[in-house]
Amino acid sequence: MDSVEYLDLLLKALLLAGVYAAMAVGMTVIYGVMKIVNLAHAGFLMMGAYFALELFQRFHVDPILGSIIALPVFFVFGMAVHWLLIRWLPKSDTPTLASLLLMFGFWLVLQNIAYLVWGNEDQSILTPLTLSSVQIGQISIPKVNLVVFAAAVFCMAVLQIVFHRSWFGRSMRALIQNPYAAQIVGVDDQKTARLTFGLGAAFAGFAGGLLGMLFSFSPDFGRPFLLRSFVIIVLGGLESVSGVALGAILLAILETFGINIPLPVYWHGWSFHYLPPSYQQVIPFALLVVVLLILPKGLSSLFNRKWKAA
Amino acid sequence: MRGTLACIGQNIRRASILALAFAGIGTLCTGSRAVAADETIKIGVVLPTTGSESKPGAYQKEGIELAIKQINDAGGIMVKSKGKKLKIEEVFYDDGTDSKKSASLTERAMSSDGVVAVLGGYSTALGTAESVMADRYKTPWITTGAGATAIFGKGYQYAFGTLSPVALIGTTSAEFLGSLMDQGKLKKGLKVAMVVENTDHGTDYVQGFTDWSNKHAGYFQIVLNEKFELGATDFSGILQKVKNSHADIFLSDAHLPDYITMHRQYLQNGLHHQMVSYGARGPEANARQALGAGTDYIFAGIWWSNKLPYPQAKKFATDYKAFTGHDVDSWYAAPAYDGMRILAQAIAAAGSLDKTAIRNALKKAQLKDSVLPGQVLKFGANGQAEYPFVITQNKPDNKVDIVYPKDAATGEPVAPSPAK
Repeated sequence: MDSVEYLDLLLKALLLAGVYAAMAVGMTVIYGVMKIVNLAHAGFLMMGAYFALELFQRFHVDPILGSIIALPVFFVFGMAVHWLLIRWLPKSDTPTLASLLLMFGFWLVLQNIAYLVWGNEDQSILTPLTLSSVQIGQISIPKVNLVVFAAAVFCMAVLQIVFHRSWFGRSMRALIQNPYAAQIVGVDDQKTARLTFGLGAAFAGFAGGLLGMLFSFSPDFGRPFLLRSFVIIVLGGLESVSGVALGAILLAILETFGINIPLPVYWHGWSFHYLPPSYQQVIPFALLVVVLLILPKGLSSLFNRKWKAA
Repeated sequence: MRGTLACIGQNIRRASILALAFAGIGTLCTGSRAVAADETIKIGVVLPTTGSESKPGAYQKEGIELAIKQINDAGGIMVKSKGKKLKIEEVFYDDGTDSKKSASLTERAMSSDGVVAVLGGYSTALGTAESVMADRYKTPWITTGAGATAIFGKGYQYAFGTLSPVALIGTTSAEFLGSLMDQGKLKKGLKVAMVVENTDHGTDYVQGFTDWSNKHAGYFQIVLNEKFELGATDFSGILQKVKNSHADIFLSDAHLPDYITMHRQYLQNGLHHQMVSYGARGPEANARQALGAGTDYIFAGIWWSNKLPYPQAKKFATDYKAFTGHDVDSWYAAPAYDGMRILAQAIAAAGSLDKTAIRNALKKAQLKDSVLPGQVLKFGANGQAEYPFVITQNKPDNKVDIVYPKDAATGEPVAPSPAK
C-alpha cells in the first residue's frame, strides 16, 4: 500500500470513529451518573433508525434532520422510561444485577414492539446522498459518511458545552465524581438522573438515525454496535466524554487498519502476515480484554496520571 | 397491615387455583390433540422468521405452507397402513436465526413433539447445526435452505437437501463468465477478486470457481481470495484490499444483509468492476429497494427464478401470489415448496408413518413435475439434490433476466457492466 491508500484508510477510520463516538456517548453518561450498564442502548439505537425512516417515508424529512428531531423526542422518551422503570432500582455505587436484567428485558420489549410494528424485513434509507461520494485525487469519500460525521461531531461538541457550561452539566459531573458530596451541596440526584437518562436515550436515538443512513436495519439492529459501545466506553474510562472520543478513534483505526497492515510474526524466523479479514470482529473483543487487564480505568486514566504527575 | 397481608395471601391462593385450573384445561387440550394427532401427519418446520435471516426464512415457510395447503385441499396423503388419506399438520418453530436454538428446536421436534419428518434449515450455518439431529433421532430431515456440501459429506443417512451444491454456483458463475469471454464480450485472462463469507457456503463457492478456473487455463487470474465474518458492519478494510488488487471482476458470496451492507459501501467507495456478483444474491427486492440503480447489472447464480419457462414454475408463481398476496420475487420459496412435495410423495410411497420407511422412500423419490431447473428433483447418494443453476442479471428499472444457460435465457447478458 502507498501513502495515498494509507491516507484513504485513515480518513475512513476517522469518519467511522465519529459515528462510533455518537453511539457510545449516551451509554457513557448513563453509566457515569447512575452506574447502570444500559443494555437497552441497542434498542434505543434501533428505535432511532426506525424513527428517522418513518419521518423520511411519511413526511419526506431528510434523515439527518430526522436524527436531530430524534434528540428531543428520545430525550422525553428516556425520561419517561426512567420515571416508569429506572427510579425503582435500588441505588448503588456499582452496576447491579437488577439493573442489568431490567435493561436487558427492556431491550427485548423494544425489539418485540419493533417486530410487531415494522415486521422483520431489512429496511434501508436511500437518499441521493447514500451512494454518492466526493473524489479528492485518488481518494473517494462517501458523502453520507461525511455528513454523518459532521452531525456527530457537532452534537458531541454541544454535549461537551452542556457538560461544562450548564447547571445540569455541573450536576452530572458532580454526581460522577462523588455522588455523596454532590447531594450534600444540594444536587438533586433523582432529577439529574432522570435528565441524564433522557440525554443518554436522546444520543442513542440520534446515533440510531445516523446509523440507519449507513446500514440496513431490522428490529435486531444494534446488537453489534452494543459490543462496540462497550469497548469504546471501557477504553474511554466509563465516565468521560473526551475518553469516549479517544476510544472511538482507537477502535475505528484498529478495525480499519488491522486487516491492512502486515504484522510481524515469529515462526521459524521473522515474517510479516496480514490478519485475515474474517478476524476483523475479533479486534474489539481482544481490545476489551487487553484494556481491562492493563488499564481497567480506561485510556483517560493514563493521561490523568501524567497530568497529576506533572 | 395484617389485613393487607391476608388479602395478598387470599389473592395468591386464588391465583394458584386459577393456575391449576388453566393447567388442567391445558392438559385436557393436549390430550384431545393427542387423540387428533393420530389423524394427521405431523411435519416439523424449523426456520428463522425473526433475526437476520427472517426474510428468506419467511419465504421458505410460505413455500412449505403453500405445498401443505395444496396437498390438504386434495384430501391429504394416502397412507396404506392407515387405509385412508391423512392431512398434514405443520408444527412450526422459529429459530430466530440462532444456530443453537435451531439445533435444539429440531431435537425437540424429533424427540418429543412426535413429527415424522422435519423441514427447514435456512441458511448453511443453521442447517449445519440441525443436521446432526437427523441420524441421532432417526428422523428424516430435509434442508430447504442449506446447500453446503460439508453437511452431506458426513455419511448421514436421514439428512436430505433440496438445494443443489453451493460449489455449483461457483462453477456455473465461472462457466457463464467463460462463455462471455468466448463470445468476445469480455477479454480472456481477467483478474478476479473473491471475497466470501467465512462459512462452508463461502468455501464451497470459491472451490467451485477455482476448480473450473484450474481446468480451463487462461480464462481467469485470481488475484485476491479473502473471507469475512457473517453480519459484519464495516467492509471498508476488505474493500480497500479489493481496490488494491486492481481486479477486473469482483465476486463475493454473501447472505442478504451482508450483500446489502457490502455493496452499499462498495458503491460509496466509488468501486467499479467489469462484472460483479454476490453468489446467490442479487435480484432480491429488498436489496434493489435499498440500493436502487446501484444493483443494476449484478449477476447471481440461483436455484430458481420466476422467469423459468416451465408451466409448473409459472403455476407455482401464480399459486404463491394467490396464497401469500405477494409476488415470488426470489428463489427461496421454490426449493421449500418442492421439499414438502417430495416428502409427501415419499410418505405415500412408504405407505406408513414409519420414519425409516419414509427415509428409504426419500432415497428413491423423484419429483417429476419439479418447479426447479431441470424439472426433476431427486436426491443423490449423499442425500443432496443436484440440478443446474440459472444465472440471472439485474437490469435497469428493477428488471431481471435469466442470462444463462442459453436455453432458459430471457435476455442477453450485459458485459462488461457500464460504468455509472
